[in-house]
This record gives sequence, structure tokens and C-alpha cells, in this order.
Amino acid sequence: MGYLNNSIVTIDAILTNKGRELLARGDGSFKITQFALADDEIDYTLYNPTHPSGSAFYGQALENMPLLEAFPETTQNLKYKLTTLPRGTAKMPVLDAGFAAITLKQGASLAITPQTLNYLGNNQIFETSGYTATLADVRTLSNFNGVGINTEQAEALNQTQTIGTNVSKTVVGTTINLTATTVNTLFGSNTQLNTTLQIVGRDSGARITIPVTITKTT
Amino acid sequence: MSFKRLDPEDFLISADSITAGAWSGNSPSITTFFTSSVQEAGSSGDYYLNVYSENPDTSNTASVEFAVAFGDSAGSGSILYDPGQNGKSPSSTVFGQFQNIVLGDENNNFIFGGVTPVTQSFFALSVERSKYKGSIFPGTMNLVLSSSAGFITLTDNSRDVSTTVFNEAGRVFQLVSGSNGNAIGEGDTPASAVSNGMTISGSYGLFLPDIGCLLLNAPALELPEADGGIALDVGYQTNGDDDNNRAIFEVVSGSGTTGVGKANFLLNSQENITSDFLFIRARNSEYNYSENPSFISGSTGEVLYTNFINAPQTFITSVGLYNDANELLAVAKLSKPLKKDFTKEALVRVKLDF
Repeated sequence: MGYLNNSIVTIDAILTNKGRELLARGDGSFKITQFALADDEIDYTLYNPTHPSGSAFYGQALENMPLLEAFPETTQNLKYKLTTLPRGTAKMPVLDAGFAAITLKQGASLAITPQTLNYLGNNQIFETSGYTATLADVRTLSNFNGVGINTEQAEALNQTQTIGTNVSKTVVGTTINLTATTVNTLFGSNTQLNTTLQIVGRDSGARITIPVTITKTT
Repeated sequence: MSFKRLDPEDFLISADSITAGAWSGNSPSITTFFTSSVQEAGSSGDYYLNVYSENPDTSNTASVEFAVAFGDSAGSGSILYDPGQNGKSPSSTVFGQFQNIVLGDENNNFIFGGVTPVTQSFFALSVERSKYKGSIFPGTMNLVLSSSAGFITLTDNSRDVSTTVFNEAGRVFQLVSGSNGNAIGEGDTPASAVSNGMTISGSYGLFLPDIGCLLLNAPALELPEADGGIALDVGYQTNGDDDNNRAIFEVVSGSGTTGVGKANFLLNSQENITSDFLFIRARNSEYNYSENPSFISGSTGEVLYTNFINAPQTFITSVGLYNDANELLAVAKLSKPLKKDFTKEALVRVKLDF
């Protein structure tokens, strides 16, 4: 005799900045079709597989931790997604962009072709759905696009013009092209601009964040 | 794979009706009533008086609860816009305004409880939109009107009628003497009345929940107490300010009359909140590994603990809702991590309000 596990959890969702933007656009792009789960804020080093009280207590330090509220900023949510992999997976997919950091002179270009290690039994593959690349400050590049994925959604993303302030921009492709800005006024009295490029495997969920530095030449 | 498509049966749209006290602070009743001397002295004071539950002349937190206005088809009771143009005054403007939105035809007369008063005049009590939210909840309205002649408690007859009548302003109920949506019985109703809780001049007015308004039938309120009225002194000068707005304010507030201590205006608001519910289902074989950097050791991707190879455990903290372009549209956070492994399935209901 015991109580049944009341396992359904109800939570309230908030719209992200991107969600608000697409809702305001009113062109049907605000259409939820899929979901992902993440474990942001979890530090697995706190998991204790040697807990003296047994396996029920391994995750004790994590199970009751208080969590922060959701952030409206799109890029600050679901950083670390949970993935579905075969049981017995010993190595997690890892992205290799070929660069630990990117430094570009004004007007210089670079093409990045990421690869995924340890995915679907392969040591190294290009994911068939491509990669999502998000630049934190779109002003730092005069050209930022993805090529190689020709779905309607990917092409729509790649053609989106982002103007104005230091907003992020997301593109999709198997190769990501970057060209540093030639606009001097962005630098002010500084000699370089800094931003980040986040690349996520669209199939594996593996991600990598690369610092990007644009150096002033004139 | 990190993304999982939602099936049609994972979506549920629910419209919930939320009711609450209508007045400031979600209070269901007001017992103290104030007007603003500034508003009354201004040009809008010719048309209506804003009514507050705190004195706006001394309180910074006072907010408008409702407004009272007098409408008359002949423009009586207020000063003509142009002395040479009879019938054109603030009271006829108010009358025409409500005739337009309630009756929909400038040639139609107001009918109160089956009676069409010869004198087409009424007092409008228009509740502040932010107070009644979507609509007034029928059956919750109780309004005490008191004068030196006596007092009555008015309510709508929503619980006495089996079918709801609609007009141009949506649902319409009769204002009757009674409480909580029920009229008083035959024994308490004047013999001359046309129906229970009414008067010989018909009902006490119309209750229009969908536009947040009450229209009080002036001829019914003018009747002596024995006939169900409160002997309200309504002025009908053809070109003079009879200050009828203040007259109705005083019977609502019960100031200086037999109604001192009895003044009360009870009301509940009602609104429909439309929510999208999404059911997020993680099967036992799904979402048992993580891209969290602390889940792996080193740069080559080995899982942190050897027992994670065959018995991994993850802790769900966030649910992300995406479109086909993998753009994150909405995000929900759990109040505490939800443990997930190959022996568990997770069902999370996400509520998205619009």
C-alpha cells in the first residue's frame, strides 16, 4: 500500500526575445513544433557515485537544488541540451570547429566547417542537418551566413537581415562564413571588438563556444 | 538527437474563466465613495463623475473605480451647448451614446422590465475597464442606493431567468430589488409593480455585463419608497445644470441620508484566460545523456563517471519550445531538477499564457 507517484509536473513558460519578435512579426513563424530538454545549472561533479548510503543518494546534491527563473534572452537558455543516445555510450559527441579562438582583421574572411566527434559510432562526421551558429553581436561581421543546408527554414534564417543594435544572429549550414566588419566607428577608441560564436550540432546537440576578436587595421 | 517533434495530441488549448473582486486590490466591495473636485470642476464633469474608493484629493493611490453619468433623450438636466438649439446638451449626448451602443438604433427607446418610460432618462454606472477586466460576473452585483426616503439593494436577475437575453451590448439582465442575482419575492414587492423586484415604472434598469455598465432607470428611482423607489430628486430643466451626476453619486455613497453606514457596491470581475498547454513526453530511452560540459571529462568527450556509460542519469531543469527553424520561442524552468534515466519516463505539462 502506498501513494502513487504523482509524476506530472506543470510549469509556466515565458516567451524568449526571439519568441516575442516572431510573434510580433505575425507571419506564422511563431509556431511551436518541437522541444528540447536541458540541464543548465547542473554541475555533475556534485553527483557522488560513491555515496555511502547507496545509489539512491548519488544525486542527492542535485535533486533538491533551487533553480533560477528562465531568462528572456534567447542565447542564455538551454545551453546544455540533453540528448538521446544508445545505452552504453562512453563518449559524448563533441564539436570540433578547427579553432579554439578566432581573430580576424578588418575585412578578413573565414569559413568554418565544423565536425562532430563520437557521434553515431563515428569518430568524426559532418552532421546531416548541419550546424546552427549564433553570433552574439552581429555588428562585428559584415557577412555572416551558412551554406550547405537547403531547407526552407535554414534558407530563411540565412537570408534574415538583422539591423540596429548589438543583437545576435543565427544561421544554419554545414559551413559558416564570416567576414569581419570594415566599419571603424564601431571600435571607438579601442583597437579590437570582441564577441562569441556559438556552434551547435543540429542532430547531436553538441556545442562549442568560440571567442571572436576583430582587430582594427586603420 | 536533442530535438523531439511534438505530436498534435501534445497540444491543448484551454480557456479558463477567472473571477475576482472587481475593485482596487481585488476587493469585491466598496463602502466608501469619493469624487475628484478637479475632475468635477473640469469640462468632463459636465458629462460624468469619476468615483473612487479613496479620496483622490488626498491619496496618491486612489484610482477610478467607476463613473456615473446622466442621460436624457430631451437633453434635460444640463446646460445646452447652444441656447438656440434645444435638446442638445451633455445629457442628450450621454443618452445618444448609450442608445447607440445598447440599442443600436437612434429611434429605439429603452425598455426596462417590459415598460417603456415616457421620460427616457437613466443614470449610467460605467465600471473602469481595468476593474471589470473581461466582463462583470453576473449574480455578484449588489448595489445599495439610499436617500432620505429610504434605501434599496439592487442586483441583476441573472439567477431568476432561464434564458439570457442579448442586445447590441451583449448579454442584458434587468436590475431588480434583491441580492446576489435573485429578485425579492412577491410579498416584498409593491403591489403595483410589473414583476417581482420591479416597480410600476418597470425594472430599476439594465445590467450589461459585457460592456461593464449599469443603466439605472431614473423614473423608477424617482418613485416614493412605498412604490419601490427612493424618491430620487432628478432635475429636468431644459437649459440648466441640475447636477444629476452628483445626485446619483450621493445615493450610491449614501452620504447624509438614511443610508449612512449602508453604502455598498459589490461586484466581481470575470475574464477568460486562454492558455496553451503542451505535454512534453520524454520516453525511457530518451534524454539520458547530456551535452553539459560537467557531464564529460576532458576534451575527447568521455563521460564523467564510468557508471554513466550504462546507467546515465540526467537532471532536467529546462524545457525549450522551438519552431521548425530551431529557434527558441519559449522556455520553461522547473522548480527543481527532475531526475531522468533509462528506468524513468518524464511527463511535463507546460503552460503558455497569452
